[in-house]
Amino acid sequence: MATLAAEQPVEPPRVRGFDFVPGGLLGLTIFATGAVLVLVSIVLWLSFTEGTPGDPVLVYTLDHYRAMFGDGFTYRVLWNTVLFSAVTTTTAFALALPMAWLMERTDFPGKPIVFTMMTLALLIPSFAVSLGWVFLLHPKIGLINQGLMHVFNLENAPFDVSNIFSMGVIEGMNLTPLAFIMTAVVLRSMDPALEEAAAISGAKPWQAVLRVTLRVLMPGLLAAAIYIATIGFAAFDVPAILGLTRRIFTFSTYVFWVLTPSEGAPEYGNVATLSVIMVVLAAFLSWAYRRAQRQAPKYAVVTGKAYRPRISKLGKWRSLAILFVVGYFIVSQLLPLIMLAWASLLPYLQTPSLQALESITTRNFVNLPKELVWRAGTNTAILMVLVPTITLILSVAVSWVVLRTKIKGRGWFDFLAFLPLAIPAIVFSVAALLLALFVLRRYIPIYGTIWILVLVYSVARLSYGTRMTNSALIQIHPELEESAKVCGASTGNILRRILLPLMGPSLAYAWIWIALLTYRELTLPVVISTSSNLPFSYLVWGFVQASAYGSASAAALLMLCLMLPFLLLYWFVARRAGMIAPR
Amino acid sequence: MIGIRNLTMTYRTAHGEHQAVKGVSVDIPDGQFYTLLGPSGCGKTTILRCVAGLEQPDGGEIIIGGRTVFSSEKGIWVPPHDRNIGMVFQSYAIWPHMTVFENVAFPLRHKKPKPNRAEIKDRVAKALALVHLAGLEDRPAPYLSGGQQQRLALARALVSEPRVLLLDEPLSNLDAKLREEMRFEIRQVTERLGVTTLFVTHEQIEALTMSDVMAVMNDGLIIQQGAPAEIYAKPTGAFVADFIGRSNFLAGKITAVSGTNGSSVASVATPIGALNARTDGKSKIGDSVTIAIRPENVVLVSPSAPADANEFAGTVDAVVYVGNLLDCVIAVGSEKVKLQLQPSAAVDRGATVRLSFPLEHCLALPQ
Repeated sequence: MATLAAEQPVEPPRVRGFDFVPGGLLGLTIFATGAVLVLVSIVLWLSFTEGTPGDPVLVYTLDHYRAMFGDGFTYRVLWNTVLFSAVTTTTAFALALPMAWLMERTDFPGKPIVFTMMTLALLIPSFAVSLGWVFLLHPKIGLINQGLMHVFNLENAPFDVSNIFSMGVIEGMNLTPLAFIMTAVVLRSMDPALEEAAAISGAKPWQAVLRVTLRVLMPGLLAAAIYIATIGFAAFDVPAILGLTRRIFTFSTYVFWVLTPSEGAPEYGNVATLSVIMVVLAAFLSWAYRRAQRQAPKYAVVTGKAYRPRISKLGKWRSLAILFVVGYFIVSQLLPLIMLAWASLLPYLQTPSLQALESITTRNFVNLPKELVWRAGTNTAILMVLVPTITLILSVAVSWVVLRTKIKGRGWFDFLAFLPLAIPAIVFSVAALLLALFVLRRYIPIYGTIWILVLVYSVARLSYGTRMTNSALIQIHPELEESAKVCGASTGNILRRILLPLMGPSLAYAWIWIALLTYRELTLPVVISTSSNLPFSYLVWGFVQASAYGSASAAALLMLCLMLPFLLLYWFVARRAGMIAPR
Repeated sequence: MIGIRNLTMTYRTAHGEHQAVKGVSVDIPDGQFYTLLGPSGCGKTTILRCVAGLEQPDGGEIIIGGRTVFSSEKGIWVPPHDRNIGMVFQSYAIWPHMTVFENVAFPLRHKKPKPNRAEIKDRVAKALALVHLAGLEDRPAPYLSGGQQQRLALARALVSEPRVLLLDEPLSNLDAKLREEMRFEIRQVTERLGVTTLFVTHEQIEALTMSDVMAVMNDGLIIQQGAPAEIYAKPTGAFVADFIGRSNFLAGKITAVSGTNGSSVASVATPIGALNARTDGKSKIGDSVTIAIRPENVVLVSPSAPADANEFAGTVDAVVYVGNLLDCVIAVGSEKVKLQLQPSAAVDRGATVRLSFPLEHCLALPQ
């Protein structure tokens, strides 16, 4: 009997017409990575030039470097930054390590709630929390300081919120959720049999933890610590809100300070030079991070068997453990935010009392400049829609080119897309400013428009976006695409019918995450925003700079309230994507 | 020795409770190699982890070398680090941040009284020599092959001369050839040291070749316990007959019983006709039984030979060549009978053949 195939010879499937999609994806990739390259280059270029760029005569010089390295204050700022970063990292891990251990290895009650709270705490704008700390610990207006001075009859405020140590502790508490999540992942990756084998060998529980568990986890924990230190190094919100008025600088705030002198034109060359120094130091930290990260799996024993760790019973320590975790949330998040709310309702800051309660007013809210608030809200909304969309389109393109083609130099695309992680946000901001002012001015006037923000936000999030799309794409077996190709599908069809649907949950999660980061971002707009393209966070910043703390807290509180529905949406999406999960 | 009395253990998870061990008693005399065999999820690993002290059982008693390490009645609980046992984990659990020497020395350094430096060195060297790893002392542990890690885990488990050695599926991560080699080697080492060994596996070949005594487990209970040869030849139930080796099963009803206790013979009415089989002597006329016979014991007889009892005509349904033998399936009436033949046997699909089920290999198992 003749088979079907013999009766109807099948033509080898062929894609008809020109397949323009791969070219398009490559184009997007070149655009994205090119933007990173241009932003980095312009800072580097301007640091070596004298005179206003765009002028016909441009002198190449090392003067800025001589000036910066010859200035003792640069070293002071450097020392401050190192100290700040070290205190931040220490605080974050001193809090995160015990909490991660409690969640992963003990019978702590209500673990899903703690994980949810930690994830949401990652998103609370740290400038809002910092503002709350001003009201708690400021030498003149801080509640705790005033209270202690009153009770103990002190001449001076016992706490100084503006010194490097206090700022580091506050930044460390803000970064604890991130350190917690990274530590929990590391703890989860360890084969519990390693610890059990130590117990069988006669080691007491504390000996097993000290000699086996911590040693095995060390490379992973080290990588996490370097990552946190990198963020601390580049942090802007906390030192800007707490330290800037008192002239206590870290690198980020110093760059901002030099860029916005109280009189005269800014020395753009010096700003660029400081930015270059900062990029070099941050790049060194990122290099150390990637190195440590590569060392981490060295100790991972992959068995393919689901790990079933021994869960220690807390017993009589249970209430102490609960107190510790709940205490962290209260002190690090709730207390400052309550202070923020309190301050926003008062004409001037007072200690909570019946008398103060009587003077409660909505004046701070009513007096907010409506037109400006409306404009800031609209701008933020535009950014929240455009930035994640553009970032993810570019990220999918980069990931596809890097992982699915054999194009020469695709390793460079991957490197450039990852680079923004190493570049402090303030430097991106400066780079975008210099680009808009001196290079694009005549051809594409984007300074003062929302587009400069869209550009710099999208490029800065490229490292996060590509990490997400890379891991999503790696999980999709290439044979799924190849089988579609054999069926005659074009690259566009494969992308639309196979890849994007399969990457859907990851993309949805990444989209909303980037949208929320956009909402809370302060550092990127701080240099390039004007009254026409300002986002909401910049509005708060403007009030802080003008020492209008009442308006600042009212605007910050308004911003937090408007964020709530988005946090809820994020929570739903993240839970469906399995991103908020205890074991 | 190891004594386990009426052990029960229930896991409580978010998805509800699961009773993993439902009352198990085991006695392992000094120096014996005892194996718990069963499908995954039958509770064998849980028992081992209870003996190690890595899980706390709900009820029962565990005695190691005359010392009660767990008793729900007397409220005794000895933590794992005080039990003086050696254990090899399925993942080996070799500490990746230590060298080979440090891995093996670890149990000695936590022993009381702690041996001095020279003695530790000496004993580690002896333990490594025992497992043929001498000379690799300074190698970082992750740089060992799978087989070497396995040996290292064994050396570490034995170095402090524990009373009891626990092996949790130690061979399951090795390739077939190495597994065979290590089966032999583990048995040799434990025999030489005379250590009491509790071995857990789901591979019947490991249980059959290594054990002094083995127990077949299912669903949290020990189904049958005995020497490997005894269990293979005389399974007491259909589960064991099926789990150990392969078996043909024929359901039927006893129509007559003859012979004395112990070696009585039952006539059983089966779907393919009357069949004689051995019984335990307790079966009565009218009992429902399952007749088990292993494929290697079914014999092809010449169609021209005079008909005998326990012989049936059938058609060859499938023949599969597996190297050292032929796997055949013969259709007899509505039943399919598996049998094994020499590769030289000439059988073709569709041919009519005559089968004999020798009485001494037919077991009537109560249902």
